[in-house]
Amino acid sequence: MNPNDAKLGELLNSVRVSPALPPRFHENVWRRIENAESSKKSGTWLDALAALILRPRLAFATAAMLLLAGGFLGAHEGSQAARQDAQTRYITSVAPNSLR
Amino acid sequence: MNRSLVILLGSLALGAAIFAVAYFASQHTCMMCQTITTDNLEWLQTEFHLSDAEMSRVRKLHADYEPQCLEMCAQIAAKKNELAAALANATNVTVEAENKLSELHALRARCQTQMLHHFFEVSHLMPPEQGRRYLTEMEKLTLGVTEPIEKTMSMPAANEHGTN
Repeated sequence: MNPNDAKLGELLNSVRVSPALPPRFHENVWRRIENAESSKKSGTWLDALAALILRPRLAFATAAMLLLAGGFLGAHEGSQAARQDAQTRYITSVAPNSLR
Repeated sequence: MNRSLVILLGSLALGAAIFAVAYFASQHTCMMCQTITTDNLEWLQTEFHLSDAEMSRVRKLHADYEPQCLEMCAQIAAKKNELAAALANATNVTVEAENKLSELHALRARCQTQMLHHFFEVSHLMPPEQGRRYLTEMEKLTLGVTEPIEKTMSMPAANEHGTN
Protein backbone atom coordinates (compact mmCIF):
# COMPACT_ATOMS: atom_id res chain seq x y z
CA MET A 1 0.00 0.00 0.00
CA ASN A 2 1.35 3.40 -0.95
CA PRO A 3 0.67 6.11 1.66
CA ASN A 4 1.18 8.83 -0.93
CA ASP A 5 -1.57 7.53 -3.12
CA ALA A 6 -3.88 10.58 -3.44
CA LYS A 7 -6.73 8.69 -4.97
CA LEU A 8 -6.82 6.17 -2.16
CA GLY A 9 -6.77 9.01 0.39
CA GLU A 10 -9.76 10.72 -1.20
CA LEU A 11 -11.64 7.47 -1.32
CA LEU A 12 -11.02 6.74 2.35
CA ASN A 13 -12.15 10.27 3.36
CA SER A 14 -15.36 9.92 1.44
CA VAL A 15 -16.37 6.68 3.22
CA ARG A 16 -15.90 8.05 6.84
CA VAL A 17 -19.26 7.76 8.59
CA SER A 18 -20.46 10.00 11.46
CA PRO A 19 -22.95 8.12 13.71
CA ALA A 20 -26.16 9.80 14.84
CA LEU A 21 -26.05 11.34 18.35
CA PRO A 22 -28.27 9.79 21.02
CA PRO A 23 -31.39 11.77 22.01
CA ARG A 24 -30.84 14.82 24.36
CA PHE A 25 -27.10 14.37 23.99
CA HIS A 26 -26.19 18.06 24.35
CA GLU A 27 -28.48 18.57 27.34
CA ASN A 28 -26.97 15.58 29.11
CA VAL A 29 -23.43 16.79 28.46
CA TRP A 30 -24.16 20.21 29.95
CA ARG A 31 -25.88 18.66 32.96
CA ARG A 32 -22.84 16.51 33.65
CA ILE A 33 -20.56 19.52 33.37
CA GLU A 34 -22.72 21.53 35.77
CA ASN A 35 -22.88 18.68 38.32
CA ALA A 36 -19.14 18.22 38.21
CA GLU A 37 -18.53 21.93 38.77
CA SER A 38 -20.98 22.23 41.66
CA SER A 39 -19.49 19.26 43.57
CA LYS A 40 -16.03 20.66 42.94
CA LYS A 41 -17.09 24.05 44.40
CA SER A 42 -18.63 22.63 47.66
CA GLY A 43 -15.54 20.56 48.28
CA THR A 44 -13.39 23.61 47.79
CA TRP A 45 -14.78 25.82 50.60
CA LEU A 46 -14.72 22.97 53.14
CA ASP A 47 -11.17 22.10 52.18
CA ALA A 48 -10.17 25.74 52.39
CA LEU A 49 -11.69 26.04 55.87
CA ALA A 50 -9.97 22.86 57.02
CA ALA A 51 -6.68 24.14 55.66
CA LEU A 52 -7.21 27.44 57.49
CA ILE A 53 -7.95 25.63 60.77
CA LEU A 54 -4.83 23.53 60.43
CA ARG A 55 -2.57 26.58 60.23
CA PRO A 56 -0.45 26.34 63.43
CA ARG A 57 -0.45 30.07 64.18
CA LEU A 58 -4.21 30.42 63.91
CA ALA A 59 -4.81 27.16 65.80
CA PHE A 60 -2.62 28.25 68.74
CA ALA A 61 -4.15 31.75 68.80
CA THR A 62 -7.68 30.32 68.89
CA ALA A 63 -6.78 27.82 71.63
CA ALA A 64 -5.16 30.58 73.71
CA MET A 65 -8.19 32.83 73.25
CA LEU A 66 -10.59 30.06 74.32
CA LEU A 67 -8.38 29.25 77.32
CA LEU A 68 -8.35 32.89 78.43
CA ALA A 69 -12.08 33.43 77.84
CA GLY A 70 -12.96 30.25 79.75
CA GLY A 71 -10.60 31.19 82.57
CA PHE A 72 -11.96 34.71 82.98
CA LEU A 73 -15.58 33.63 82.78
CA GLY A 74 -15.01 30.78 85.23
CA ALA A 75 -13.20 33.07 87.66
CA HIS A 76 -16.05 35.58 87.47
CA GLU A 77 -18.69 32.92 88.08
CA GLY A 78 -16.64 31.37 90.90
CA SER A 79 -16.21 34.75 92.55
CA GLN A 80 -19.96 35.43 92.34
CA ALA A 81 -20.77 32.00 93.81
CA ALA A 82 -18.29 32.50 96.66
CA ARG A 83 -19.76 35.93 97.40
CA GLN A 84 -23.25 34.46 97.45
CA ASP A 85 -22.08 31.72 99.80
CA ALA A 86 -20.47 34.22 102.19
CA GLN A 87 -23.63 36.35 102.15
CA THR A 88 -25.79 33.32 102.96
CA ARG A 89 -23.50 32.42 105.89
CA TYR A 90 -23.84 35.93 107.34
CA ILE A 91 -27.61 36.02 106.89
CA THR A 92 -27.95 32.61 108.54
CA SER A 93 -25.93 33.84 111.52
CA VAL A 94 -28.13 36.92 112.12
CA ALA A 95 -31.58 35.88 110.92
CA PRO A 96 -33.02 32.49 111.84
CA ASN A 97 -34.63 30.52 109.03
CA SER A 98 -38.00 30.64 110.79
CA LEU A 99 -38.13 34.40 110.19
CA ARG A 100 -37.32 34.34 106.52
CA MET B 1 -16.72 10.81 55.89
CA ASN B 2 -15.05 13.75 54.18
CA ARG B 3 -11.60 14.47 55.65
CA SER B 4 -12.19 18.23 55.80
CA LEU B 5 -15.46 17.72 57.66
CA VAL B 6 -13.71 15.50 60.20
CA ILE B 7 -11.07 18.19 60.74
CA LEU B 8 -13.75 20.86 61.18
CA LEU B 9 -15.82 18.84 63.68
CA GLY B 10 -12.71 17.71 65.55
CA SER B 11 -11.52 21.31 65.87
CA LEU B 12 -14.90 22.43 67.20
CA ALA B 13 -14.91 19.63 69.79
CA LEU B 14 -11.35 20.43 70.84
CA GLY B 15 -12.17 24.14 71.16
CA ALA B 16 -15.22 23.38 73.31
CA ALA B 17 -13.14 21.06 75.50
CA ILE B 18 -10.42 23.69 75.99
CA PHE B 19 -13.02 26.31 76.96
CA ALA B 20 -14.84 23.94 79.35
CA VAL B 21 -11.65 22.82 81.11
CA ALA B 22 -10.47 26.41 81.57
CA TYR B 23 -13.93 27.52 82.77
CA PHE B 24 -14.47 24.79 85.36
CA ALA B 25 -10.87 24.80 86.60
CA SER B 26 -10.82 28.56 87.22
CA GLN B 27 -14.34 28.53 88.71
CA HIS B 28 -13.41 25.77 91.14
CA THR B 29 -10.09 27.42 92.07
CA CYS B 30 -11.74 30.78 92.61
CA MET B 31 -14.45 29.31 94.83
CA MET B 32 -11.93 27.32 96.86
CA CYS B 33 -9.72 30.38 97.39
CA GLN B 34 -12.56 32.64 98.48
CA THR B 35 -14.46 30.21 100.72
CA ILE B 36 -11.41 28.94 102.56
CA THR B 37 -12.49 30.84 105.68
CA THR B 38 -15.47 29.89 107.85
CA ASP B 39 -15.85 33.41 109.23
CA ASN B 40 -19.53 34.36 109.01
CA LEU B 41 -18.77 38.09 109.10
CA GLU B 42 -16.21 38.11 106.32
CA TRP B 43 -18.87 39.06 103.78
CA LEU B 44 -19.60 42.30 105.69
CA GLN B 45 -15.99 43.46 105.49
CA THR B 46 -15.59 42.76 101.78
CA GLU B 47 -19.06 43.88 100.68
CA PHE B 48 -19.19 47.12 102.70
CA HIS B 49 -15.45 47.91 102.61
CA LEU B 50 -15.04 48.04 106.39
CA SER B 51 -11.73 48.81 108.06
CA ASP B 52 -10.26 46.47 110.67
CA ALA B 53 -11.30 48.88 113.47
CA GLU B 54 -14.89 49.06 112.20
CA MET B 55 -14.89 45.32 111.78
CA SER B 56 -13.76 44.63 115.35
CA ARG B 57 -16.63 46.81 116.66
CA VAL B 58 -19.07 44.92 114.41
CA ARG B 59 -17.67 41.62 115.72
CA LYS B 60 -18.27 42.67 119.32
CA LEU B 61 -21.85 43.71 118.50
CA HIS B 62 -22.42 40.42 116.69
CA ALA B 63 -21.04 38.44 119.64
CA ASP B 64 -23.48 40.24 121.98
CA TYR B 65 -26.41 39.68 119.62
CA GLU B 66 -25.79 35.98 118.87
CA PRO B 67 -26.93 34.56 122.30
CA GLN B 68 -30.11 36.70 122.18
CA CYS B 69 -30.83 35.41 118.67
CA LEU B 70 -30.28 31.79 119.73
CA GLU B 71 -32.56 32.29 122.73
CA MET B 72 -35.33 33.66 120.50
CA CYS B 73 -34.83 30.79 118.04
CA ALA B 74 -35.24 28.27 120.85
CA GLN B 75 -38.42 30.00 122.02
CA ILE B 76 -39.87 30.03 118.48
CA ALA B 77 -39.00 26.34 118.00
CA ALA B 78 -40.68 25.45 121.32
CA LYS B 79 -43.78 27.45 120.39
CA LYS B 80 -43.94 25.74 117.00
CA ASN B 81 -43.90 22.37 118.75
CA GLU B 82 -46.73 23.52 121.06
CA LEU B 83 -48.74 24.62 118.01
CA ALA B 84 -48.11 21.29 116.31
CA ALA B 85 -49.27 19.48 119.46
CA ALA B 86 -52.41 21.64 119.62
CA LEU B 87 -53.18 20.89 115.96
CA ALA B 88 -52.53 17.15 116.27
CA ASN B 89 -55.75 15.16 115.73
CA ALA B 90 -57.72 18.43 115.56
CA THR B 91 -60.55 18.60 113.04
CA ASN B 92 -61.07 22.32 113.50
CA VAL B 93 -59.15 25.38 114.68
CA THR B 94 -59.34 25.15 118.45
CA VAL B 95 -59.03 28.07 120.85
CA GLU B 96 -55.77 26.61 122.10
CA ALA B 97 -54.33 26.41 118.57
CA GLU B 98 -55.45 29.97 117.88
CA ASN B 99 -53.72 31.15 121.05
CA LYS B 100 -50.52 29.26 120.19
CA LEU B 101 -50.57 30.78 116.70
CA SER B 102 -50.93 34.29 118.15
CA GLU B 103 -48.10 33.63 120.60
CA LEU B 104 -45.92 32.34 117.75
CA HIS B 105 -46.61 35.49 115.71
CA ALA B 106 -45.83 37.65 118.73
CA LEU B 107 -42.54 35.80 119.28
CA ARG B 108 -41.61 36.19 115.63
CA ALA B 109 -42.41 39.88 115.77
CA ARG B 110 -40.21 40.29 118.88
CA CYS B 111 -37.41 38.38 117.18
CA GLN B 112 -37.69 40.52 114.04
CA THR B 113 -37.69 43.71 116.11
CA GLN B 114 -34.57 42.54 117.95
CA MET B 115 -32.96 41.67 114.62
CA LEU B 116 -33.81 45.09 113.21
CA HIS B 117 -32.27 46.75 116.28
CA HIS B 118 -29.10 44.80 115.59
CA PHE B 119 -29.09 45.82 111.92
CA PHE B 120 -29.47 49.49 112.86
CA GLU B 121 -26.67 49.23 115.41
CA VAL B 122 -24.37 47.59 112.86
CA SER B 123 -25.24 50.19 110.24
CA HIS B 124 -24.30 52.98 112.70
CA LEU B 125 -20.80 51.52 112.89
CA MET B 126 -20.35 51.81 109.13
CA PRO B 127 -19.69 54.87 106.97
CA PRO B 128 -23.13 56.52 106.29
CA GLU B 129 -23.41 55.47 102.66
CA GLN B 130 -22.41 51.86 103.38
CA GLY B 131 -24.70 51.81 106.42
CA ARG B 132 -27.70 52.77 104.29
CA ARG B 133 -26.79 50.13 101.71
CA TYR B 134 -26.39 47.52 104.47
CA LEU B 135 -29.81 48.31 105.93
CA THR B 136 -31.52 48.13 102.54
CA GLU B 137 -29.82 44.83 101.78
CA MET B 138 -30.68 43.32 105.17
CA GLU B 139 -34.31 44.41 105.01
CA LYS B 140 -34.59 42.90 101.55
CA LEU B 141 -32.88 39.62 102.51
CA THR B 142 -34.41 39.00 105.93
CA LEU B 143 -37.80 40.70 105.94
CA GLY B 144 -38.48 40.65 102.22
CA VAL B 145 -39.78 44.23 102.40
CA THR B 146 -39.00 44.83 98.76
CA GLU B 147 -40.22 41.46 97.55
CA PRO B 148 -42.93 41.66 94.91
CA ILE B 149 -45.05 38.90 96.55
CA GLU B 150 -47.49 41.31 98.21
CA LYS B 151 -47.73 43.35 95.05
CA THR B 152 -48.49 40.27 92.95
CA MET B 153 -51.00 39.08 95.52
CA SER B 154 -52.80 42.39 95.58
CA MET B 155 -53.09 42.65 91.79
CA PRO B 156 -55.43 39.70 91.11
CA ALA B 157 -57.67 40.93 93.94
CA ALA B 158 -58.40 44.04 91.91
CA ASN B 159 -59.35 41.88 88.94
CA GLU B 160 -61.47 39.47 90.94
CA HIS B 161 -63.48 42.20 92.64
CA GLY B 162 -63.51 44.53 89.69
CA THR B 163 -66.44 45.31 87.46
CA ASN B 164 -65.21 43.42 84.38
